[in-house]
Amino acid sequence: MIAYVIRRLGQAVIVMFIVSVVVFGILHLLPGGLVRAQLGPRATPLAVHDLTVQEGLNKPLVVQYGIWAWHALQGNLGFSYKLNQSVASLLGEYLPRDLLLVGVSLLFAIAIAVPLGIWQGYRRNRPDDNALSTIMLIFYSAPSFLLAVCLIVVFNIWTNLLPSTATNFGANVGTDVRVLALPVMALCLGNVSYFSRYVRSATIDNLLSDHVRTAIAKGAAPRRMLARHVLRNSLSSTVTLVGLTLPYVLSGSLVIEALFNFPGMGLLFWNAAQDRDFPVLLGVVLVVTVATVVGNLLADLGYAALDPRVRLR
Amino acid sequence: MSQDVMTDPGKRPVLQVQNLRTEFRLRSSTVVAVDDVSLTVHEGECLGLVGESGCGKSTTGLSIMRLLPRIGHITGGKVLLGERDLTTLSEAEMRKVRGNDVAMIFQDPMTSLNPTSTIGVQVAEPLRIHFGTHRKAAAKRALEMLDLVGVPNPRERMDDYPHQLSGGLRQRVMIAMALTAQPKLLIADEPTTALDVTIQAQILDLLDRLREELSMAVLLITHDMGVIAGRTDRVMVMYAAKAVESTSTAELFEDTRHPYAKALLESVPQLTASSSTLLPTIPGQPPDLTNLTGGCRFAPRCRHAKPDCGTAEPTLEELEAGHLVACFHPVGSEPEPAADAPELAAPAPEPVADEAADEPAAELPTVVQRVQAVLGITLEPRPAEPPPAGPPAAAEPVGAQAAADPMSAPVLVEIERLFKEYPVRRGLGLGFGPPAASVKAVSGISLTIRRGETFGLAGESGCGKTTLGRIVAGHEHPTAGTVRIDGKEILRLHGAELRRGRRQQQLMFQDPYASLNPRMRVGAIIREPLMVQGSGNRRQQWERVAELLGEIGLSRRAMDLYPHEFSGGQRQRIGLARALALNPGLIVADEPVSALDVSIQSQILNLMKRLQRDHGLTYMVVSHDLSVLRYLSDTIGVMYLGKLVEYGPADDVYDAPAHPYTHGLIQTIPVPDPKIERTKEKAAVRGELPSPVHPPSGCRFRTRCPLAQELCAQQEPPMQVFGPGHVAACHFPLQPPTTLEPPPGVQLAMTDPRGDA
Ligand code: SF4
Ligand code: SF4
Repeated sequence: MIAYVIRRLGQAVIVMFIVSVVVFGILHLLPGGLVRAQLGPRATPLAVHDLTVQEGLNKPLVVQYGIWAWHALQGNLGFSYKLNQSVASLLGEYLPRDLLLVGVSLLFAIAIAVPLGIWQGYRRNRPDDNALSTIMLIFYSAPSFLLAVCLIVVFNIWTNLLPSTATNFGANVGTDVRVLALPVMALCLGNVSYFSRYVRSATIDNLLSDHVRTAIAKGAAPRRMLARHVLRNSLSSTVTLVGLTLPYVLSGSLVIEALFNFPGMGLLFWNAAQDRDFPVLLGVVLVVTVATVVGNLLADLGYAALDPRVRLR
Repeated sequence: MSQDVMTDPGKRPVLQVQNLRTEFRLRSSTVVAVDDVSLTVHEGECLGLVGESGCGKSTTGLSIMRLLPRIGHITGGKVLLGERDLTTLSEAEMRKVRGNDVAMIFQDPMTSLNPTSTIGVQVAEPLRIHFGTHRKAAAKRALEMLDLVGVPNPRERMDDYPHQLSGGLRQRVMIAMALTAQPKLLIADEPTTALDVTIQAQILDLLDRLREELSMAVLLITHDMGVIAGRTDRVMVMYAAKAVESTSTAELFEDTRHPYAKALLESVPQLTASSSTLLPTIPGQPPDLTNLTGGCRFAPRCRHAKPDCGTAEPTLEELEAGHLVACFHPVGSEPEPAADAPELAAPAPEPVADEAADEPAAELPTVVQRVQAVLGITLEPRPAEPPPAGPPAAAEPVGAQAAADPMSAPVLVEIERLFKEYPVRRGLGLGFGPPAASVKAVSGISLTIRRGETFGLAGESGCGKTTLGRIVAGHEHPTAGTVRIDGKEILRLHGAELRRGRRQQQLMFQDPYASLNPRMRVGAIIREPLMVQGSGNRRQQWERVAELLGEIGLSRRAMDLYPHEFSGGQRQRIGLARALALNPGLIVADEPVSALDVSIQSQILNLMKRLQRDHGLTYMVVSHDLSVLRYLSDTIGVMYLGKLVEYGPADDVYDAPAHPYTHGLIQTIPVPDPKIERTKEKAAVRGELPSPVHPPSGCRFRTRCPLAQELCAQQEPPMQVFGPGHVAACHFPLQPPTTLEPPPGVQLAMTDPRGDA
C-alpha cells in the first residue's frame, strides 16, 4: 500500500510539473510576457525594464521558469492590475468559498446517490426503479443552469422560502445556510443523477456476480447481502468516478456562481475573462488543474482503500 | 411419475426431489429447463447428475436451493428435505435452510468469493448468519474448517483476501465455507471444472473424505463421465431438461441402456484409445428447448430411433431393479444398428440457425424426416457395414500421414533453446529502472515437430505451454533462442517475407466465443486473412470462403450470419476455417476443444483429423486435457514450470512414462470406468504449482515429486533416452534409461551445444 501511495504521488508530481510548464508557456506567449501580465498593458517602458531586470526576465528561459516556479510554489502567482491585488490573495479569498460550495454539494450528492443507486439496482426494472430512473434522466440531461432557474422559480418566486442570490454570503452562519441552499441544490441534483446511475449499474453487476450468489447460498438476507457484499464493491468503482468528476464540478460551479451571484472563483474567473485579466485567469486554471490531479489521486487512493486487489498488489 | 431409483433401506433419504419442473419465462416464450425430474440422495451418499451444458443439471441444483435467476420459476413438483417441502417455504424460511441445511459450491472459485472481504470473515459468515455466533467464536470455527479442508497455514490465510490464493485453495475455502454450518446436503455444481486435473483430483478426494467424515449427502453436478465413474454411488443422466437414465454408477458403466448415455460415453476420448481411429460422435446438437416438436428429444441424433420415437415422449421406466431408462428401444433390447459413420468425407452441411425453416421437409417436421435430413441416412435398419459412400468406418486408420512411420518424416519445426521471461516490475513503477524479477515462462526448450504429425504439448496451467505455442505461431517474441519453420528462422523475417512467413503457421484459439469478432459476418471473418495477405481477387476470395465452409461442414448460408448465431462447436469450426484459409503448413491449436461439450468436442476432433489427412497439415496442439492429446497426437511433450520434462511418441509416453510428473498427470485424469477409478492411487500429484518467478532449484518438480531426493535439489536432471525418440529429464526415472541416440533437436544436457541441424 505504501509503495502504491508513493507511486501515485510520484505520478501526481510529474503531472503537476508538466502542467506548470504549460501554464508558464502560455504566460510567456502573452504580448509583453510576464512583465505585462503583471504590470498591465499601459505600463511605462521604464517600469517594464525595471521589473524585467528585477524579476530576472532577461535570463534564459529555463532560469525564468525556475524563478517563476519558485515564486508559484511560494504562492506568488503574479499581480492583478485590474483588481490591484495579488492573484494569491484573490484566490485565498475566493477559493475557500468554492471549496465549501463544491464540498457540501458533493457530500450531499454522494449521500443521496449511493443509497438511491443501490436501492434502484436491487429493485431493477420494477416500477419504482423505472420511475426513479426517469426522474434521474431528466436531471441528468437538463443543463445545470436550467435546473438552477427551476429551483429559483420554485423556492424563491413561488414560495419565497430561500433567497435567490448569494451576494450577502459571509454575513453570518445563519444567513449563509439559507444563501447556500439553492446553489448547493443546483449543483447537487445533476451529480446525484450522474452518480446514482453509476451506482445502480455497478450494483446490478454486483448482484448478478458469482460472489453474491454465494452469499445468498449461505443464507444471507437482502440487507446483509447489500451491506456486506454489494455496497463496498459498488462503492470502490464509484469513488473513482467522484474523484474524476471533481474538476467538472468545479468548472460547473462557474455557471451556477454567475447565476446566483455567489462570490466564488467562478465569479472571479468570469470577471477576469471579461477584463482580460490574464494572471487571474491562469491562477484559476492552475487551481483547477491542481484540483484535477488531487481528485485523481484521492480517487486512486480511495479505490485502493476499498479494494484489496489493488491495495495488496 | 414419482417412482425413484433404488431406495437403499439402510440409509435415510436426505433429499427427495419429486417431479420437479422449472421454467424460464423469456420475453417471447417459456422454456421448461427442468422437466419432471425426480431424484433422491441418501445420507453419506453421492449422487451424480451428468449431462451436457443446457441439459438442466445446474438448474436442478439451483432449483433445490431456490437460487434461480429472476426469470426462473419452479412450477411443479416437490423438493423434500426431510419432511419439509422447500418449494412451499417463504423466502425468509428458505434463508434459514440455505447455508445451514443445504449448502452449495460453484464452478468458478475465482469469482465465487467476495473479493473485498477476508477469507476468515467469509468462512465464518454462515455461523454468524444462522446461529448469531460471536465473532471470535465464529472465527475460531472458521480456522478449524480451513484446517479441515487442508488449507496450509490456516492462521495466516484467515486475513488473506481471495485474490491472494490460487484457484485450488479458493475452492478449498469455498468448501470450508459451505461446510461450516454442517449442512446435511452439499450441492457441488461442477466444483472442479475450472481447475487443473492435478488439483481436481485433490479437491475431489477432499470432498470424498469430508462426505465420509461428516456423513453428508452430496449431489455432484458434472459433465465429466470420468468424475462420475470415480466419485459417485448413483448417477442420473440428463438430456434436454429430462432425466433419461438413472441407476447405480457401476451399472451405468457396465450396462448403459439409454442411447444418449451410451453415445456420450463412447465419444469421450479414452486414454487407452489409439490415435489412429476416429471417435464415434453424436451428430447434430441438442434440441432448442423453446421449440420442441414432440416425441423423444434425442430422436434427431439417435442411432436407435424408430418411427414411433417421433410420436410420443418416452418416460422413465424401470428396466431392472433400480435401473430406470426413458427410451422405447433401449440399447441391448434389440439388435444393434450400424454405428453411425463419424465425419468421414466432408459432412453434410449442418443446418444453421433458422435454416431448418427453409427446408420443405420442415413444414411437416416428422422426426423421421428431420433425422434423415440431419444424418443423411434412411431410418430402415441398416446392415452392420460401412455406408456405401465409401469413407472409412470408425475403426479404420485415418489417412496415410498418420499411418506411415511419423519418425521418418522430415522435420518442419525446430525449436532451439527457447527462453521467454516476463519482467515483474516493482518499485515506483514510473516506467524505468530494472525489473525486480521475472516470470520464467519458458526456460530453454528444444524440440522438433515433423511434417504431417500432430505434436501435443501438455502441462498444468501456468507451465508455459501456451506461451510456447504463441511463440511458434509467431504471435510473441522469445527472450532468447530460435524457432525455425521449414528451415527459416521465423523471428528473423522482415517485411514481405514476414508476411509470407505468417501464412505458414496459424493460431487457433481456445475460446470460440471471444476469438471471433462479433460485429463481422462469418464470411468476412474467414476472408480476412485472404485480404490481409492479398491472395487472389475478390471473386476468388469469396470462392475460397465457400469452399472452406464446405470443408468444415457448414452451408454457404453461414457466410451472411454473425458469430452469435452459431453454437460453440460451429464457432470453433469457423475458427478452424479461418486458420485454414491460407493453406498453412502448421496450425497451432491452443485448447481447441476445452470450451466444448463432449459430443461436440468429438465432432471437432474428428474434423481436425480429417483436415490433417486431406491437407497434410502439421498440428501443434496445446492442451491440459491428456485424453484429447492422446487422441490427436503422434508425439507428446510434457512441460512443467517452463521446462520440457518428457518428450516422445505418444504411445510410449502414455504407456510407459519415465518422468514422475507425466506418470502423475496420467494417473489423475478421471477415466470413465468405475473399476479403474476406484482402484487408483489418490491424488498422484501433490500440492500446487510453485511460483514461476522463483522456480525451485535443481529439478523444478521436486517440491511435488514423490521420488525426490537430495540430488534433485542440487542438480538439474539431464535428459536421458528411454526408447526410440523418447526422452525425459529425471534423476530417478520410472524405468531404466537406454543408450539410444536422442531424437533430433533434443539436447541431452543443457550445456551441450546442439548436435545436428
Ligand atoms: S426413444 Fe427412440 S429416439 Fe429416443 S432415445 Fe430411445 S430409441 Fe432413441
Ligand atoms: S529429478 Fe528428482 S524431483 Fe525431479 S522428477 Fe526426478 S525424482 Fe522427482
